[in-house]
Amino acid sequence: MDIVIRAVVMFLFVWFVTRTVGRRELSTLEPFDLILLVVLGDLIQQGVTQNDFTVTGAMLAGGTFAVMTVLFSFLSFRFPRRLAPVLEGDPVILVEHGQPLERNLRRNRITTEELAAQARINAQIAHIKDVEWAVLETSGQISFIPKNSS
Amino acid sequence: MADVPDQLVLKVARDREGRRDVIARRIGLSALLVFLALAAFNVFGQRPSTTTAESEAAKLEVYAPERVRGGLYYEARFRIDAVRELENATLVLDPGWAEGITINTIVPSPLGEASRDGRLAFELGRVPAGQKHVFFLHLQVNPTNVGHRSQDVQLYDGDTLLATVDRSITIFP
Repeated sequence: MDIVIRAVVMFLFVWFVTRTVGRRELSTLEPFDLILLVVLGDLIQQGVTQNDFTVTGAMLAGGTFAVMTVLFSFLSFRFPRRLAPVLEGDPVILVEHGQPLERNLRRNRITTEELAAQARINAQIAHIKDVEWAVLETSGQISFIPKNSS
Repeated sequence: MADVPDQLVLKVARDREGRRDVIARRIGLSALLVFLALAAFNVFGQRPSTTTAESEAAKLEVYAPERVRGGLYYEARFRIDAVRELENATLVLDPGWAEGITINTIVPSPLGEASRDGRLAFELGRVPAGQKHVFFLHLQVNPTNVGHRSQDVQLYDGDTLLATVDRSITIFP
């Protein structure tokens, strides 16, 4: 039973950390970020299973994570206005009619240079002034809607 | 002028009205920092501490962590300084020393081991006046062991109580 409790606690801790760190940091998978994620997974696994090397223990821990994932997803779906912003966050507009919204950029620790780079990479847009809308999605990705497509 | 993308509400997505996400993130990050700072100050173990007790006959010193975490190894050191000769020095440990804790090794091996009213008694033998006897326990906390329990240590010479060290241990998950 304690392995289930440990798995629930660690699931909540990982959710807390990801919500605290911010979505941009987690959406970019640079080599360093990738290594960090693998190491983080290993650290969490040790805390959950500890010295339990059994198949039963692994199934309990994995099953608990699966149930918690479905539970969070269900809560977000069932209460989209109240819980979804808490559990998953909500989209943030970064550019409106070609004008970067400095306050929202600052709050999400995104520089204008990074925004321009994302516009080039994700939407082949050379100039921010050509962006009608740029939205930081809950996944951490930035979506760009060019002016001429509206 | 382009329409606002579907499902986006400007007051929320642009103006962040009613949203406290930045404050919540800062509070969360502060809580994490406090948690880490507490760990740096040994709140979650397992830095050893020294506790002593003495009488006219001997001094007893126990050096061991008072906060540990499940699954970790640690060491407890018991030092007896004999002021006068001890005929049969005996250390008596509360059951909390072994409850949910694996005793890996005892160095040096005691002359005898017994239960004294439910507590663990280790007979160490003679300690001449002015000399010391150092006794080590190497321990490992069982991973499922969580809680707080007494770890008092008493030094006897035969059946005569010489000194008592009051200790307790807190085990974090």
